[in-house]
Amino acid sequence: MSARAPSPEAIAWRRETASLGMWIFLATEVMFFGVLFLAYFHWRVHDPDGWAAASRLTHEWLGTLNTALLLTSSLTMALAVRAGWLGRRRAVPPLLWTTAALGLAFIGVKAVEYTLEWRDGLVPALHFTYSGENARAVQEFFYLYFAMTGVHALHLAIGVGLVAWAAVRLREPPTELSRRDTVECLGLYWHFVDAIWIVLYPLIYLVGLAR
Amino acid sequence: MSAVRDAVPGSYLTEGFTLRSWLTTRDHKRIAILYAVAITFFFFLGGAAAALIRLELATPAGDLVSADTYNKLFTIHGVVMVWFFLIPSIPSTLGNFLVPLMIGSREVAFPRLNLLSWYIYVLGGAFTVATLIAGGVDTGWTFYTPFSTLFSNTHVVAAAAGVFIVGFSSILTGLNFIVTVHRMRAPGMTWFRLPLMVWALYATSLILVLATPVLAMTLTLMALERVLHVGIFDPALGGDPLLFQHLFWFYSHPAVYIMVLPAMGVVSEIITCFARKKVFGYKFMAYAILGIAAFGFLVWGHHMFVSGQSMYAGMVFSMLSFMVAVPSAIKVFNWTATLYKGSIVFTAPMLYALGFIGLFTIGGMTGLYLATLAVDVHLTDTYFVVAHFHYIMVGGTVMAYLGGIHYWWPKITGRMYPEAWGRVAALAIFFGFNLTFFPQYLLGYLGMPRRYHEYSPDLQLLNVLSSGGASILAVGYLLPLVYLGWSIFKGAPATANPWHAKGLEWTVPSPPPKENFAVPPAVDEAPYGYDPEEVVR
Amino acid sequence: MNSPPRLRVYVCTWLALMALLAGTFTLAHFRIGGLNTALGLAIAAVKVLLVGLFFMHLKRASALVAIFAGAALVWIAILFGLSGTDYATRHPSPAPWTAPDGH
Repeated sequence: MSARAPSPEAIAWRRETASLGMWIFLATEVMFFGVLFLAYFHWRVHDPDGWAAASRLTHEWLGTLNTALLLTSSLTMALAVRAGWLGRRRAVPPLLWTTAALGLAFIGVKAVEYTLEWRDGLVPALHFTYSGENARAVQEFFYLYFAMTGVHALHLAIGVGLVAWAAVRLREPPTELSRRDTVECLGLYWHFVDAIWIVLYPLIYLVGLAR
Repeated sequence: MSAVRDAVPGSYLTEGFTLRSWLTTRDHKRIAILYAVAITFFFFLGGAAAALIRLELATPAGDLVSADTYNKLFTIHGVVMVWFFLIPSIPSTLGNFLVPLMIGSREVAFPRLNLLSWYIYVLGGAFTVATLIAGGVDTGWTFYTPFSTLFSNTHVVAAAAGVFIVGFSSILTGLNFIVTVHRMRAPGMTWFRLPLMVWALYATSLILVLATPVLAMTLTLMALERVLHVGIFDPALGGDPLLFQHLFWFYSHPAVYIMVLPAMGVVSEIITCFARKKVFGYKFMAYAILGIAAFGFLVWGHHMFVSGQSMYAGMVFSMLSFMVAVPSAIKVFNWTATLYKGSIVFTAPMLYALGFIGLFTIGGMTGLYLATLAVDVHLTDTYFVVAHFHYIMVGGTVMAYLGGIHYWWPKITGRMYPEAWGRVAALAIFFGFNLTFFPQYLLGYLGMPRRYHEYSPDLQLLNVLSSGGASILAVGYLLPLVYLGWSIFKGAPATANPWHAKGLEWTVPSPPPKENFAVPPAVDEAPYGYDPEEVVR
Repeated sequence: MNSPPRLRVYVCTWLALMALLAGTFTLAHFRIGGLNTALGLAIAAVKVLLVGLFFMHLKRASALVAIFAGAALVWIAILFGLSGTDYATRHPSPAPWTAPDGH
């Protein structure tokens, strides 16, 4: 199976095969996150008022800013994939670095949010001092909030690492004839992480805003 | 390793004799063997737990072990047997070895991921063994809340971690098979020319990929709740213990189809070869396989009929559970029709396959009793359930696994096993199995609850029969360990196709060369081109 | 399929996503009862669709890939739907020691 100079058909075959593998992996991730969404909806249907009260305690401006950052990072990631596709190798690393930077910015904003929530005593099990009317719902809400955004942030951090690694690897001329599959698969992963956040955003930040 | 050196030169076994060549291999055939060694260890570990359970239950009093120790025994038996033996057994050993060969490919789609999946399996196994050594876990393999989150004093998190880790081994294996079957079939190998083993492993892989992540997250949430004392399963916090059960069984019911579908694939291959007749209703068999995989996701609530779940949900799940039996029944009818007017040879693999058909049918039909809401109220959590699932898992899957090991042994090792001993072991296992588990149907009917280390004295006779059967079963399982091991060194060298079987794996030497096919095969005929009139001896 | 979509496609998708973000944020402040949730989720679904079709190239992908993408959503729907048969029809009877709010 040594391919010293793989044909264009072989390259295309390999890219489509890698892409199929990545899509199946993303399907597993949907099922993985889906459990948290079920837990969320179970609670929300059970105590809608408590849930809305809890959601009002989140920082929706930071959440909206984060969504904008992540959506933009998806654009730069998609443009990186496109540049690779067009053979514009020199354009790919800067676009990847921008994507990673936007991802890091998201994580930074998240860290700020988590700090604010710690300050406000809204971290269940570790530092939870809320004692208002809906205390139980607030505790459950924030338990799921930290679980869902935490797992998401972990996936994003892994994505940032992989994107940075790809950006470094792509500085030298590729030893294989095409690194397009790597960037394309990374792109799929990155957009998926973005898609999870797109669904998380209204569920976390926008529930009780209409008074 | 003179046994290996004596093997046909230039086979996958002779490509490097060092341990390192095995531990860094990307050859799907070597990875299959790595898995086989590992799961055999876990089979006997789980079996040891079972032996202690049956020893305890030979007498009505709880006199061998304490109640707490007994809880740990059935928990480790379940955890090890389900996740470290049954689920990886056929897919990761026979599947890994055979899928590329059966589709005419040189490799799987992602060979390095394949090796990684084995290391992940070993890591998960290490966690489980460590848990055992540190004192075990007593929640049952089902980890139900609130006992697991609030009250158990054993190593729940460590055990859950082991299962979480090994789940990723499953996911990678499934992902690999799906992509391999879609992308790497030889020219002319259309979907409806695939052996049913490949269909079965493909459907199994779909389940592996869609169900296992749910288990991973569910166990994580359970462990978090245990550690943090906040969570979503505790009623005192407003949570719901049934949420855990819904999430757990959403995976664990399809998991039983992960365990049985590959077995059905093996049985199809064996039956057709030793009846010398093509499978009856090939397309129905393939569709039934897909139907079982899909429908298996819709029935999980039948594990929760008495849990407090709504009665209406119970009715829905009961009806769906009846429907899922239909594709399985179609397969049993078609195997029977395949046998009809075939030229049957009772080799060891055939004995296992025939045993499968009978025992799976019994197990499946008793599943219908359990799917009946009103009856399940009385039978649930009794030995009736234990008997039901052992008929399918052991009478079904384990027998098919052993049948497959024997059937493909010449191909994998290049040696023939001693046929007489093979038949003796198969019969001992069949007899021992029925003596062990049939009395358990009666015990359950009479009301003996499961997961108790003591029972009412009037049930002792049936328990003694069951424990006696278990000792015969143990001998039956040890026999292949001995004679298969012996055959690696002293067995007669095998030809490429000792069974005169159809299928691409039989067109390459035994054992196969590393690249499988010297020339990529081209396929132009339907599978199972057997002729019962043809005399082959 | 040797050339990627035009730059315009990506930029327009991004603009649409940002517009939808602004829209969903604004709408959330208006009191429209059950529509708040429904619209919020609908807008999120559209955003996911845009990301999937244009950024992830689902629009040009093979049927096989589209089936796997769809299958995951169908399977999550099974999880939600069949658990829902329990949660929609279960009427909890709180124990005497449970707090008055019924949980």
